[in-house]
Amino acid sequence: MDVTQQAAPAADTPPASGTGQRDGRTRQRSLALRLLARPEVGVFLGAVAVFVFFLVQAPTVRQGSSMATVLYQASTIGIMALPVALLMIGGEFDLSAGVAVISSALTAAMISFQLTMNVWVGVLVALVLSLAVGAFNGWMMVRTGLPSFLVTLGTFLGLQGVNLAVTKLVTGNVATDDISDMDGFDQAKSVFSSSFHLGDVQVKITVVWWLVFAALATWVLLRTKYGNWIFAVGGNKDSARAVGVPVTFTKISLFMLVGFGAWFVGMHQLFAFNTVQSGEGVGQELIYIAAAVIGGCLLTGGYGSAIGPVFGAFMFGMVSQGIVFAGWNPDWFKAFLGVMLLGATLINLWVRQSATRR
Amino acid sequence: MDRSRDPRSRRAALIAMAAISALLIAGCSSSSGGKKAEDDAKGASAGKADTPAMKVALVTHQAPGDTFWDIVRKGAEAAAAKDNIKLVYSSDPSAGNQANLVQNAIDQKVDGIAVTLAKPGAMKDVIGKAGKANIPVVGLNSGLADWKKLGLLEFFGQDESVAGEAFGKKLNEVGAKKAVCVVHEQGNVGLTQRCDGVKKTFEGDVENLYVNGTDMPSVKSTITAKLKRDSDIDHVVTLGAPFAMTATQSVGDAGSKAKVATFDLNKNLTGAIKKGTIEFAVDQQPYLQGYLAVDSLWLYKNNGNYSGGGEQPVLTGPAFVDKSNVDRVAEFAAKGTR
Amino acid sequence: MTTADPQKTTAVAEKDPAGGPAPEGAGPLVELRGAGKSYGNIRALHGVDLAVHPGRVTCVLGDNGAGKSTLIKIISGLHQHTEGEVLVDGTPVRFNTPREALAKGIATVYQDLATVPLMPVWRNFFLGSEMTKGPWPVRRLDIARMKRTADEELRNMGIVLDDLEQPLGTLSGGQRQSVAIARAVYFGARVLILDEPTAALGVKQSGVVLKYIAAARERGLGVIFITHNPHHAYLVGDHFSVLRLGTLELSAARSEVSLEQLTNHMAGGAELDALKHELERAGGVDVEALPGAPDAGEPAGTPSEGTA
Repeated sequence: MDVTQQAAPAADTPPASGTGQRDGRTRQRSLALRLLARPEVGVFLGAVAVFVFFLVQAPTVRQGSSMATVLYQASTIGIMALPVALLMIGGEFDLSAGVAVISSALTAAMISFQLTMNVWVGVLVALVLSLAVGAFNGWMMVRTGLPSFLVTLGTFLGLQGVNLAVTKLVTGNVATDDISDMDGFDQAKSVFSSSFHLGDVQVKITVVWWLVFAALATWVLLRTKYGNWIFAVGGNKDSARAVGVPVTFTKISLFMLVGFGAWFVGMHQLFAFNTVQSGEGVGQELIYIAAAVIGGCLLTGGYGSAIGPVFGAFMFGMVSQGIVFAGWNPDWFKAFLGVMLLGATLINLWVRQSATRR
Repeated sequence: MDRSRDPRSRRAALIAMAAISALLIAGCSSSSGGKKAEDDAKGASAGKADTPAMKVALVTHQAPGDTFWDIVRKGAEAAAAKDNIKLVYSSDPSAGNQANLVQNAIDQKVDGIAVTLAKPGAMKDVIGKAGKANIPVVGLNSGLADWKKLGLLEFFGQDESVAGEAFGKKLNEVGAKKAVCVVHEQGNVGLTQRCDGVKKTFEGDVENLYVNGTDMPSVKSTITAKLKRDSDIDHVVTLGAPFAMTATQSVGDAGSKAKVATFDLNKNLTGAIKKGTIEFAVDQQPYLQGYLAVDSLWLYKNNGNYSGGGEQPVLTGPAFVDKSNVDRVAEFAAKGTR
Repeated sequence: MTTADPQKTTAVAEKDPAGGPAPEGAGPLVELRGAGKSYGNIRALHGVDLAVHPGRVTCVLGDNGAGKSTLIKIISGLHQHTEGEVLVDGTPVRFNTPREALAKGIATVYQDLATVPLMPVWRNFFLGSEMTKGPWPVRRLDIARMKRTADEELRNMGIVLDDLEQPLGTLSGGQRQSVAIARAVYFGARVLILDEPTAALGVKQSGVVLKYIAAARERGLGVIFITHNPHHAYLVGDHFSVLRLGTLELSAARSEVSLEQLTNHMAGGAELDALKHELERAGGVDVEALPGAPDAGEPAGTPSEGTA
């Protein structure tokens, strides 16, 4: 840490001792420093570094279609990382996020297939269920005052069991039946899992959704009342309550937002792969949380952005696909991934420290 | 608690949502596919033995939600139903916990135990205890190299290396030159043996590719990336049926001409083989493993028989499924028993 | 913290006279009649009478655990009273949330400042009462207006910040407190409840805050100033209520009580006398040098910086 401290820019050293200021004047921070203090700048630099690294290392990455693959992988992580990040800024965790994706997909598949309904019915029921799971998480947490870590750990284990048991009970198998020949499937697939051509590059629709959601989340976070409340409940819940911020509403709705994300990604998986394995999704929640944290969201809440997790997810996609593109010994895959992510996080940390040190 | 929202309006919203869903359900039946289209044929069933009731424990290293193990279990259940056996199924992927489950079966004083030996070392002690308690133990699926050392009566399974070697030969037959072996769980011994077996007999090049098996989109994009990098790959070898289905999408995305072949089978896969999107599958017949393991315990108790004479394992695979025989297999795969 | 010089204190107090009598005919903004609060079978507050007039500073003093926090929580709507009455403009009320109290013009500046340290100054200023523009689906924060207003309001209170985007946590304690006060004043507070605003501050910073309290009074606000520092209270207070063990020990207008008496009440008065006698009997302690007698020239050991 000493090294990073020394490396901090010493651009404006003229001291204005903390308590001795006249009429409360504080010294102006330089533009560069203020820019660096933005939560997403560190991860942006990290992502650029990783990108350039693989651009040099793996010639295949330079093709447009390869980028599309990287972005696809990033988008499926990124869509979930967004609400998870907002929730984290709001000061809470959701460990059930990974499994909730599968719960949603299983619900849609089973409702449609078993009742021989238009798939949109399943899609809507899955949405209601996903939001309900989110609301339950939030309500339990607010009601009991337990840490969200514990509450959602319970939901995580519970959903895992329910996913398996209900699927087995209903279908007799551990995976859902193929719904690709059912009414409405093509329509739903075009919404959740189609692709389009950009020049001669095939781009997955999830990439578009991801960026749209990210823009929306950024706008909400920085430009609306609700966004203000998210920062406030994460930064200091009691203060927020005292000045009239509806803390309970904000927290529960954030959990429901994660439910919405789980629903969306779940629908993507269902319409991309036609069936869902009930045991999937375990461990994904940590990847979402990692993308959010790499994206500059504070684990303790109250600080972060929606654009940071976009770069976080991109970095994750870039590293995991880049290693394949570079043709490195696959036995080391996980190790590379770990080192890269740690390195990126350190850059992020260093940037934030040098920017906020006053 | 902060009650910023009128609870009544929230309830009204809920009711409205329920009403909308009800309307949708009423008017939105699918005219194709679905449960109605599914043939509700029953699974294999034979008559029932009138031998005295016995209790058999099947203890596997299954991780929750795995299609493969579900089929093993169905085989075991079919045999149990036929033989007037009460089957106690339990599983845990961690070796220590699996050993505890075997101990649990011993404590229940079952009449026989069928166990998988994914990590033989961890099971050694507890199998010894079963022997002391005079409970016959048979092995299935994993542990081909160790079952005799551990004193098991019989073994039903597939030699993963042998299956891999057969797979490699089949690849030679269909004229493959360069293949990629997709491992969906890094560090799994059985999966590694399969790829190694392929490598041994396959005359072309084969490379391993590790993917995150719990995240399908990631599996898809990783295979796509690999195919883009090495455009001369002509065969993708997957080690589990769901991953084969995903691999076919990756092939499309990457604009590659590669064909997909896989280990293991499920009902969607048979459809894909019929359509030709998947070239062939090699099956170790998990149903047979479960069925034979339980049935052999019944035979041992009631007639003193040893399958394989207690010397040789009973191999349940590799059995190839391709266009030539897929129709016959598909019928059973649809029921989730093959 | 050194003991304040009583001479100087008095001088300052005289230079800054009590804000005059309450405007004729105006009833109290907030009044408590025999109010109390029990948590289960623990009685935290009992039989408290208190009146807050516009343009007057009512000081509530008390030791740690005397019930000051409970009193604030009742008035600010965080808790509900279980006995007696709370009246606003002469009408009995029972607040369920701080929002309801806020709607009646009762704003509270908490000891922990009720601010979010990681958020920019202007966002903190408007937190919970954000200015928006545009129709619903695209209703958004009116950032330019909020920044401008926050800057104006802060300047009115004599606080000048160059960068309203800086996180509030980077300001000094006194500045933060002042922002919180300016905020409450701006949002039409008629009654300002200040919970130990000077407790965590140094001498200089405390002075800054006391100045803002006086400024708020000049604007005609009713101020409830909670503190356990009688010196700070006497500098700006018009009426003094001392709480002890959940009940009112003293309620007196400025004209009826001197700083010494106030200090003595704060320090425990009679109890301290008894303690003095005990120590005398035990011997070896030079009790004459000890503060605490009703007529002692020295104020009872000024409570050091701490929290209630």
